[in-house]
Amino acid sequence: MTRTLKLQCAVVVVAALCVHATVASSEEYTEDLLLRPLRDGKVASTFTFTTLLHSSPDDAQHYTLFPLALGQILRAHAVTELHLSLNAGKWDYRQWHYPDHPAVATGAELWAWMPGTGADIDARWAGLRNSLAGLFCASLGSLDQRRTLAPTDAYQPLGDLPVFQYDTANGTTTSTTHHLRHATLPSENVCTENLTPFLKLLPCKDGASTHACSLARLLNPQRLFDADWHGMGVHVRWLGGGEHSEGTIELKLVVQAVLDPVRTSGGRRDWSLTSLFDRVLDGTCPVAGSSTVRVVLPSEDSGGMYRLSPEAETGDAQHPEVEAHARPTPLDVSMAWHTERVFEYPEYGYHGGDGNEYAHAPPTIHRFLHHTAQTHGVLTLSITNPARDALLRVGYLETLPALVVPWVSTLSAEVVSGKDGGMDGRGEYISDLVYHPSRALSPPPSSPPSSFWPSLASLTPSTSTLHSPSLLQATLTVPPNSTLRVQLALSKAFLRYTEHPPDAMRGWDLPGGVLFPRIHTPALLTDLPTPDFSMPYNVIILSCTLLTLVFGSVFNAVTRGWGIVDLSGGGEDNNSGSGVGGDKEMKDGEEEPKGGEERVIKGGDGEGEGGKGRGM
Amino acid sequence: MVTKLRRRRAFSALIYHRLSSVMAALFIVGYLWMILIPLPPLSQGTYIDENALQPAQVNTYWNWVDVHKADQYLYQLEALRHNNATSEQRAVFIRNEFSKLGLAASIQMYEFSTSSGPVRGHNAYAIMASPRASGTEAIVISASWISCIDEGSNTPNMRGISTVLSLAAFLKNQSLWAKDLIFVIGDNYLDGMHAWLNAYHGTIPSNLNTDLLQHSSGVIWTALNIDYSGHSFSHLGVFFEGLNGRLPNQDLMNSLYLIATYTGGVPVTVYDHLDPSEFPNKWEEMSIFPSWIPSAIRKSAYAQLYSYRARNVLRQLGYQARGRASGVHGLFHKFRIDAITLYAVPATGPHGFHALGKIVESTLRTANNLLERLHASFFFFILTSPGTFMKIGTFLPSAILISVAMMFGGLREWVDAGVTQQHYTTTSKGDKTPTTKVKWVPRSRPVLHALIIMIITHIMGIALFSLISTRWYMDSNSTCSLALVGLSLFLPSIILQGIPQPSSTAAPVWMVLKSFNLCFASTIISITSLLNFSLAAALAVTLGLPLTLASPSSIASPPLIKYAFYCILATGWLALCPREVADAIWNWEVLGVWFGPFVCIIYVPLVIQASLVCFYQS
Repeated sequence: MTRTLKLQCAVVVVAALCVHATVASSEEYTEDLLLRPLRDGKVASTFTFTTLLHSSPDDAQHYTLFPLALGQILRAHAVTELHLSLNAGKWDYRQWHYPDHPAVATGAELWAWMPGTGADIDARWAGLRNSLAGLFCASLGSLDQRRTLAPTDAYQPLGDLPVFQYDTANGTTTSTTHHLRHATLPSENVCTENLTPFLKLLPCKDGASTHACSLARLLNPQRLFDADWHGMGVHVRWLGGGEHSEGTIELKLVVQAVLDPVRTSGGRRDWSLTSLFDRVLDGTCPVAGSSTVRVVLPSEDSGGMYRLSPEAETGDAQHPEVEAHARPTPLDVSMAWHTERVFEYPEYGYHGGDGNEYAHAPPTIHRFLHHTAQTHGVLTLSITNPARDALLRVGYLETLPALVVPWVSTLSAEVVSGKDGGMDGRGEYISDLVYHPSRALSPPPSSPPSSFWPSLASLTPSTSTLHSPSLLQATLTVPPNSTLRVQLALSKAFLRYTEHPPDAMRGWDLPGGVLFPRIHTPALLTDLPTPDFSMPYNVIILSCTLLTLVFGSVFNAVTRGWGIVDLSGGGEDNNSGSGVGGDKEMKDGEEEPKGGEERVIKGGDGEGEGGKGRGM
Repeated sequence: MVTKLRRRRAFSALIYHRLSSVMAALFIVGYLWMILIPLPPLSQGTYIDENALQPAQVNTYWNWVDVHKADQYLYQLEALRHNNATSEQRAVFIRNEFSKLGLAASIQMYEFSTSSGPVRGHNAYAIMASPRASGTEAIVISASWISCIDEGSNTPNMRGISTVLSLAAFLKNQSLWAKDLIFVIGDNYLDGMHAWLNAYHGTIPSNLNTDLLQHSSGVIWTALNIDYSGHSFSHLGVFFEGLNGRLPNQDLMNSLYLIATYTGGVPVTVYDHLDPSEFPNKWEEMSIFPSWIPSAIRKSAYAQLYSYRARNVLRQLGYQARGRASGVHGLFHKFRIDAITLYAVPATGPHGFHALGKIVESTLRTANNLLERLHASFFFFILTSPGTFMKIGTFLPSAILISVAMMFGGLREWVDAGVTQQHYTTTSKGDKTPTTKVKWVPRSRPVLHALIIMIITHIMGIALFSLISTRWYMDSNSTCSLALVGLSLFLPSIILQGIPQPSSTAAPVWMVLKSFNLCFASTIISITSLLNFSLAAALAVTLGLPLTLASPSSIASPPLIKYAFYCILATGWLALCPREVADAIWNWEVLGVWFGPFVCIIYVPLVIQASLVCFYQS
């Protein structure tokens, strides 16, 4: 069978193009939905709601489209660039390729570039994360100094950083520098309580009450949170507008989800907006500059015979940009493989295929904490370069909480499969090594000194203080078509009794590593030496205490002989020594009194052989 | 103060004078307690300790469609077996089936080098990354190619593997899993899964040749191993003993018991032991009582109950004391993974894939509910029946009492060795007739001699173990073992020749040796009882009385008979059960079970020491 040319193109269906005159020209709003069928039958959908704000920073915050709640936070803490993502699940780079928006770290991730100086930035960072925690109902407040670092190489600003010049007291002009703050919380659960405040930031909400709907109408929580992976992100950056312009603030609200029509339909990979989201597009957002639904067509090897509906007006195979006029509503986009009875999964991950796709496949990365001991472990990262003839050179970033101490001297790298490219040893594969060990932080004034965080007996035996995470950064070089294994020994902290959290002891999350530019590895769970805080634990403590007491008194009784010194001499009360040994001598004494000097009994082990023996 | 001292002295004197009866009482109570362990009043009903588990509280979705899928997998597996497929072909087939489900599947090749030749095979495994889960925790569903029937004789576990494959297909379509699911089909019986677990955790021993796994997931919390080799099954047996006497958390078994009973409608048994109350006409073969006991007594309900529970207890003691895993699940415990085997007891009916799938699904849902690892109390228990168990406090004292009696015996020897009687005559002032009196004089104890003998015996134990774990010994088993037993007969004289005799004024060596021997054995028993009660109980039975009764030969008992008894107790197992020896060596080399070295380095020297005590002339 031959495929029709029409079906080979990627398609853009523009649902609405409707710019209202009432919208102030200083603000623009566009929305976009990108649907990308994946090789394993799933569909990656990316909603992007972009608001551009062309205004000077000194304006009163009279926004029409830009969300005021967010604008106030940005203004209050003077944030130039902000990236917040709340994701659930781990992104499977091998099956799903790179995500359409790269912020896919498991859990919560927040990073911001802010102008200013050290102490001031830390205070604003604290304010920022607390404000965002309130705005998005997420536990961002716990992204405190114990989780905050500034890994500038991995998290370069994605926009421009404005230069603020001001006159200092002595008349010179100084410009501020920008600083990065970055923190992750891998165990953050993301659910509908985060989505609701997120949708409130949009100028067109989900349309339950108003006639005007937007793409946000498709964000049906029941379907979204049944996805295999879902996440939402808030990305603010500043785009410099050249000499005369004040610049533009760009706000991107992104929702990504990987939905699985094969699972929900019972074996077929056909999908439509109805089947994915249980909704259709039945309206347009009146203030949106453009409102597009784009579909990326499947690649050659996994495509098969499919039909996309509605038919695309025009299209370009690679980067389509098509204008279409308002369509009759409601709009439902669907893709169907009519000749396919059930979907047959291809081999897992990007294997084989033509060289082209192979070269662009993401590297395969495994990160695991080996060894099950509670006191130490080995962090293993194996990274496979799929390219046939090109070296893979990536930055590698680990931000480890102070619960674990990496021993950089144990860092080793070896090529475990494929050709080793004539390179040998750690020096060839690992370069530009940067390591900032965990450092003690003064406890924040508000919190009591006995915080529950680790004291790390192995590093600082002194006091229980807060510790910043440690940062390990390196450049890894992987020979073509081979696997590099990097290993690093860790020792785990021994927490004090009071430092254990009072919840269910699931373990401690280690945030995922980052291969930059922007591949996130999954988070890890580690067990620290943890007492069992249940009944038997108390029983063990109690019985051990009792045993110690009993042992003490028994030991005392056995090793120390107490006796009565008979000063009158030759009395019948003839006692020498105690314990079983002494009894024998008492028996002896009954029959034959010993000399007085023998019967002066000492406390201690001087009781002849028997006494020595007991003392052993 | 004085009265207190006197009272204390009087008390210790009382104990010393009555020491023999105290020891006898301790021995009697201890051994009697062991015999009474299966008594129903000592057990209590099982219960769920971890509230998060919520067993049997879910609707299951496993249905006949999935049973059909399992049947289809079974046909293909049977075809493979019919064609005498190699281990690699089987693994490739399983891997491909997993891959067709869209799972990340792979094959692990492994090779153990042992003294009885290399052990190699291929494992197939697949990882299902659960929707929206961070992948930091995982549950394993496994089956080995060989069933645990007769400890891994050659019964293929094909229905177990079909169940795992069809479960993979079934569970793939559910989005409610909070933990990743890992499906593992281990080759052979135990070695396949052992290689897989070590590769997964990066703890590859030096005699294992394999690589780290291609796919990985998070920390494994729970594992269910499925063993279904028959055509159908009547009961679901639960196997739980792990390597080196480790036990899983009892909550897992209790959950399974509830789920199988209420969700699956399948009766649960411990191991493959059937409850005699269900089979009134088979009571005779299920009874453990000898046939000379009147059948009226043996047939009584209470005796049958006792006999059923005694069989369960003995089976658990047998696995646990030898450090033997009773199934593939036993390999997981070392990695802090709670694991059990669901054993489908072969029968002509009435249950099959449908009931098993439902039970496994529901049990996995229960394990999925966990917010933290199973913890709390439930690691020390004796499961007397599926619904009853013994807490540690109700069985531990039996071994401890015997150990206390031995310690008393040792201390008495020590005290006795410290003094000697001297008879002398004296004349009192009153009447002129001389009277013979006894004087107790202290004497030195030849501590060093005894210690040297002990150290030599333990070194010989190490030598014995390294000898029997050589390939040469494995090949010439029967002759060698007889030679070794014979050698052990001559050992004492050889040892004693080399030890210089202490001075004549000192206490005889045997007293100190016996004292040390008893104290050491007692310490070993009491320490072991906390780690592995069954091993401690076995030691208490084998060492308790023999070591206490060891004494130098007198005219009454000919030295050779006594002496030979101890030698046979020490090394007789070499000749009597060569199969056990080979198993213990294999278990040590491949699985790291401590039982073999323990017997050679601790048990044998202790008994040899007792035989040396007998060798002395009194």
